Amino acid sequence: MKKEQNSINITIDGKELSVKEGTTILQAAEDNGIDIPTLCTYAHVNDIGSCRICMVEIEGYDNMFASCKEIATEGMVIHTDSERITEYRKEMLRLILANHNLDCMSCPANGICSLQALCNRYEVKHSTYQGHRAEFSKKRPKLDSNPYISYDPSKCIHCQRCINVCQRITCNGTLKNSRFGTLHMVDAPFGKDYKKTGCESCGTCAAICPTGALTLKRREHFREWETKRVLTTCPHCATGCQFYLIVKSNQIVNVEPADGPSNHCRLCVKGRSGSFDFVNAPDRLRKPLIKNRETDEFEETTWEEAISYTAKRFMELKEKYGGEALAGFACSRSANEDIYMVQKMVRTCFGSNNVDNCARVCHSATVAGLAKTLGSGAMTNPIYDITHDVDCILLIGSNPEEAHPVVGMQIREAVQNGTRLIVVDPRDITISKDADIHLKLRPGTNVAFANGMMHAMIEEDLIDHDYIRDNTEGFEELKALVAEYTPEKTAEICHIDPDNLREAARMYATAEKAPIIYCLGVTEHSTGTEGVMSMSNMALLCGKLGKSGCGVNPLRGQNNVQGACDMGAQPTDYPGYQKVDNDQVREKFEKAWGVSLSPKPGLKATEVFPAAIEGKIKGLYICGEDPIVSDPDTNHIIHALKSLEFFVVQDLFMTPTAAYADVILPAISYAEKEGTFTNTERRVQRIRKAVTVSGDMRPDTDILIDLMNAMGYPQKYMTPAEIMDEIASVTPSFHGISHERLDAGESLQWPCPEKDHPGTPIMHVGHPTRGKALFYPAAYKPSSELPDEEYPLMLTTGRILYQYNATAMTSRSEGLWDIAGEGFIEVNYRDANRLFIGDGERIIVRSRRGAITATARVGKKVSEGETWMPFHFPDSPVNRLTNAALDEFARIPEYKVCAVKLEKVGDWQEKVL
Amino acid sequence: MRQLEKKDSMNKRIDVVLRKFHSRMISYPPGMCPLVLYRSLFQISMNQSCGKCVPCRDGLVEVDRMLHSIIAGMATMETLEEMRRLCQMIAETSDCAVGVTAANLILDSLTEFGDEYVSHINHKRCEGNVTQTIPCITMCPAHVNVPGYISLIAAEDYAGAINIIREKNPLPTACAMVCEHPCEIKCRRGMIDDAINIRGLKKYAVDQVSADSVETPPANVRTGKKIAIVGGGPSGLTAAYFLSLMGHKAVIFDEHEKLGGMLRYGIPEYRLPKKRLDEDIQAILQAGDIEVHCQTKIGKDISFTKLKEEYDAVYLGLGAQIGNRMPMENADAEGVIPAADFLQDVANGRAMDLTGKKVVLIGGGNVAMDAARTAVRLNAETVHVFTRKRDDMTALPSEVEGAMQEGVRFRTLLSFLNIEVDKETGRVSAVWLQPEIVGEYDDLGFVKTEHSSAYPYRFKCDVLILGVGQRSDTAAFEKEGVPAERCRIKADESCIVEGMEGIFSGGDCVTGPSTAINAIAAGQVAAENIDEYLGFHHKIKSIASPAPAMPNNCVPTGRAEIEEVDPFERKTNFDGVELLMTHEEAMREAGRCLRCDHYGCGNMVGGRGE
Repeated sequence: MKKEQNSINITIDGKELSVKEGTTILQAAEDNGIDIPTLCTYAHVNDIGSCRICMVEIEGYDNMFASCKEIATEGMVIHTDSERITEYRKEMLRLILANHNLDCMSCPANGICSLQALCNRYEVKHSTYQGHRAEFSKKRPKLDSNPYISYDPSKCIHCQRCINVCQRITCNGTLKNSRFGTLHMVDAPFGKDYKKTGCESCGTCAAICPTGALTLKRREHFREWETKRVLTTCPHCATGCQFYLIVKSNQIVNVEPADGPSNHCRLCVKGRSGSFDFVNAPDRLRKPLIKNRETDEFEETTWEEAISYTAKRFMELKEKYGGEALAGFACSRSANEDIYMVQKMVRTCFGSNNVDNCARVCHSATVAGLAKTLGSGAMTNPIYDITHDVDCILLIGSNPEEAHPVVGMQIREAVQNGTRLIVVDPRDITISKDADIHLKLRPGTNVAFANGMMHAMIEEDLIDHDYIRDNTEGFEELKALVAEYTPEKTAEICHIDPDNLREAARMYATAEKAPIIYCLGVTEHSTGTEGVMSMSNMALLCGKLGKSGCGVNPLRGQNNVQGACDMGAQPTDYPGYQKVDNDQVREKFEKAWGVSLSPKPGLKATEVFPAAIEGKIKGLYICGEDPIVSDPDTNHIIHALKSLEFFVVQDLFMTPTAAYADVILPAISYAEKEGTFTNTERRVQRIRKAVTVSGDMRPDTDILIDLMNAMGYPQKYMTPAEIMDEIASVTPSFHGISHERLDAGESLQWPCPEKDHPGTPIMHVGHPTRGKALFYPAAYKPSSELPDEEYPLMLTTGRILYQYNATAMTSRSEGLWDIAGEGFIEVNYRDANRLFIGDGERIIVRSRRGAITATARVGKKVSEGETWMPFHFPDSPVNRLTNAALDEFARIPEYKVCAVKLEKVGDWQEKVL
Repeated sequence: MRQLEKKDSMNKRIDVVLRKFHSRMISYPPGMCPLVLYRSLFQISMNQSCGKCVPCRDGLVEVDRMLHSIIAGMATMETLEEMRRLCQMIAETSDCAVGVTAANLILDSLTEFGDEYVSHINHKRCEGNVTQTIPCITMCPAHVNVPGYISLIAAEDYAGAINIIREKNPLPTACAMVCEHPCEIKCRRGMIDDAINIRGLKKYAVDQVSADSVETPPANVRTGKKIAIVGGGPSGLTAAYFLSLMGHKAVIFDEHEKLGGMLRYGIPEYRLPKKRLDEDIQAILQAGDIEVHCQTKIGKDISFTKLKEEYDAVYLGLGAQIGNRMPMENADAEGVIPAADFLQDVANGRAMDLTGKKVVLIGGGNVAMDAARTAVRLNAETVHVFTRKRDDMTALPSEVEGAMQEGVRFRTLLSFLNIEVDKETGRVSAVWLQPEIVGEYDDLGFVKTEHSSAYPYRFKCDVLILGVGQRSDTAAFEKEGVPAERCRIKADESCIVEGMEGIFSGGDCVTGPSTAINAIAAGQVAAENIDEYLGFHHKIKSIASPAPAMPNNCVPTGRAEIEEVDPFERKTNFDGVELLMTHEEAMREAGRCLRCDHYGCGNMVGGRGE
């Protein structure tokens, strides 16, 4: 229990104040409108009192104190200003200046430099001291091998903000204090060996450096006063970080973090440095293209031609084969408003429910599984809630430091502050070194693992009987099923130690606040949905649902994958998970949209491709996805696309998938439009137009409205805000959400059923949405393709920090490519020894579906018999190998397990491959 | 993976350096510029900055730069003021003690050595006579030629060694036994390993050849002058020795039965056997024309005025033999005795039997230790020493250690409240003690104490010995015009008594209770100044000369200590406690001497430090 904070009385500059116990003098002054100048301090992060600018006098003491680090105590009488204080502040500035490289004109920090501002304020124009560090520092090399960040020691005032931010905000700790003789040094990880330092290049240090010592290199190209700031949402993962696009002359020149609810001024390398290069990339599609059937070449055309041609072809196919032969994919990277219009177009114009989005291949298992057991298929608790003040985190199949870096930073912070961490992952992911327990289980055995955990919890009676009685059903069935999953048996299946499993069960079950956080390691299996339900089974068993710091928390993959599902880009659901086969619901939509709608659930995305090969799907509209790169078994996808009669892609770039299209419609990026993204915690957040890029590209919603009209549906023109209003009108859980409310500064998490409803941070409070939550007894089933004699190794795929999915955005950022631009495969050293494969050697990876090359990274990160590859890289397109085996409920493919073999490569093979 | 500190970690290696350097700090040579010392200390302080805060990290460097310019004579008085202001600022704004103490060091230097700063700035030179000198000779109050006699011990010429000692100090045997050896403090050998055991070597010399068997230098022809010497202690004997060698007649008056003063009546037999003291006295009396009147007290047997009239000069070496009693109730009750009186009774053969008695001692000086160890030898049941704090134990550490070994019990943080007396017998029955708590430091860097809130407690005892100082019996002299204050005669560094023609004084009666070697130094200075006062410049012939110096390899080598008799054995009797140094030990120890009279400053003009 936290101690109640008492108030204390202090006097600052003659004003009698009542402040909270434990407040620093600086904070107390700030809270009461008393200005104390500062330089090095950064609240709660850097309060070391280095610069002494914030010093004050306290009665009863001869010395002065740094107000940033001195806690106010009862009766303290403080003076923040006096002749002596002013003179001493000037002295500090003179001493700092004497040791500072005064190259202000060309300094990237010119205009935002705190030292500059203070010197101006105190009229310190030059130093009377000689200094001792400046000359030495000028001779030290600038550390600027990192593509984004550079460190100029001659500008460093050694305030240690960067070090503490790296330690306490990003919690990575790669910036360190060191010493050279009598000199304090900042060990900045931006030198030649920067890739080996563990630095994540997030740039937080550069952003908070008060001078020009640590800077983002791009700062050299603009000055603060030349720019405007546009608050928006990060387009990468689903953390939903809020940031400002910094725009100079219609060009995005930088990104600065905002204090968003999920990021609190943190950003990762992709957010800060990979969010804008692609917007102005030279290879943006700028004109509509139609493929000349004779030459097989794309030819530029007008929008009128493109729209009418597309509409005509789809309508011809509809006439010929029926609406069921047409399908459309929305994109979980687009805005909610775009997605809503895609599904509306498919349903009203195509006349089918064949609409889906790429959540199908990442978290469809979550949507299906949690909907089934809890009544809602979304993350139950906010990120902040599950990473601050919790007792234990159960992290399963999730590598947040790579895939959700800003969540990763906050988990690291929690662990640093004493939260216990249980990592369940087949690999030694970076955070597993800080875990209390790392269960390095065999890929594909999550269900067995969860059953074993539950067996142990029941066996030791660590379960919440009251919660089970009042809020769940199916406990006896579950108990019967898990009875056979003794820790010993589970351990055998999962290749773990039964004692570790028992300890993990005790640790999770007995913790007061313990969230389960999981990701694609749970979902991307042929038993993914059962894996997800196993997660909810564990939480329900311990009553850890519907309260702060608990819950079942899938970290969704893409910026708006939550929104894409919410918006009804699903073959079974209208927006807000309203079922297409529910007559009342359908009637409501028919009334709202003014057409009759198909009651038949459509094909899921992963079913559309086989259907195309079978000839059941003839026309396909893809809005911004790249299944050739992102879907399993590439050859199979190519075959499917080639089988289509008409294929349209709406995108920013000529992707590998777009190359197979008949029509390509150039759209615009998140930085050029208005709209909303819904992050993983169900938070609907605005994106705003920051720039206009030259070309004939059009907003997705405009394209879709024109297409709908051309296909005969009378869709009136709507702005994104108006589209959101329509969404709200047909979707109960979005009923209270509007651009207006969001622009007024509200942060809303659905369900938000009324215009004055504050949103729902934690779901299932009181009772589960489903009424009574369901225990779903799931037996362990092995993955569909296990290693055998021919293909003896298991391959798992995943993501890395520096790239994003199919790399449409990140590949346009040269820096990210410099840091990590080569496909690789992680191989256990024992397997490597056996196969005579050396670290760094380019090898062939072969599965039943194809072969690719990759650079071997030999070590202990993966267990013996297992391998791991990222799927981003065009030089190692791993989805040529993966297995398209589908989960029976969600039809999610099994990216996480397939069987491969490794071969050494010869020159001739490299050429052939 | 967490790790314990490595065996050879940087911190541990640095500690070795510091430990080795510690003695180098102590052996900082005499005669150096204080500002240079301050800069060295300041740089150490400055370099302790962690580099976090501006004033300490960047400010101290600027102070160092200013200090350097002042030392180098390139600065003005403005620089001095600027440096003071900067130090003030750093002291007031630093985050931790590193910056504060570094700045305060320089602020202190401005107070302590303002004259030196001004001298550097205005005169481009050091103030006063600052020349580096031989540490042992400088530190010895009598300026005995230490390297000289060690060289002769190394050459096994012990008689020669004794005579080199006698050039400045005619009591080589007594000093070999009891000298506090200030000569060793700054011994340059400390820069390598540890100081030479100078007293130990001297003892070895007098143990090989007794002083009375070594002929003294030939005395001068008679001058016909007569000098009265009041007090036959170390100071008076020294004055008599040198005056007689100069050809004067020295007449010693002493109230005791025998000569030697505190050496005989204060220092217990087990430290300085009387037989050994007699060797020195015998040699002194043989040196020249010395007449001795024992059991003669000035003011009673002869008046001071008569002395003034009958003698060409008078030297007052009264010593300080009256033990102080505390000004409190029952301070003179039976069983309460000042340490000096207690020791004197024992020396006179009037020792009390302490069998079965509980003895309490108040005080922590050498006299108190002598009394405590004597009480142990008188078979006391228990002996307790109470002091306020450890700093009050001003006795030589070896004395305290010796007392502890012999079973004396020490308690600190107790202040003495009062004496309880048995109403029927009138004898002391207990002492009351007040528990203390340590407090702030005083200006000299010693910790002070204050009464704690705990209640006083009663400690039963049968005998209470007060080791709280001695004073001189100056009453007879004051009556006849000798200036004195609180029983101390007012004389200057030349031993001239203020405002009195031909009257000289030195030793404990001027300085208060002190060491034998300080008294000897006074006797020596007084003798030369009396000769000078009488209009002479007599020289005393040297009859021994040091052996030639040989280079030294400076291989760090341990210091040979004098071992003592088993405590359980020695506490049963008054026999000497120190064992003899072996020849092998003495030769190795003598071989450690760096011969600073030959190497370094010792052979330059003014470099000897006499």
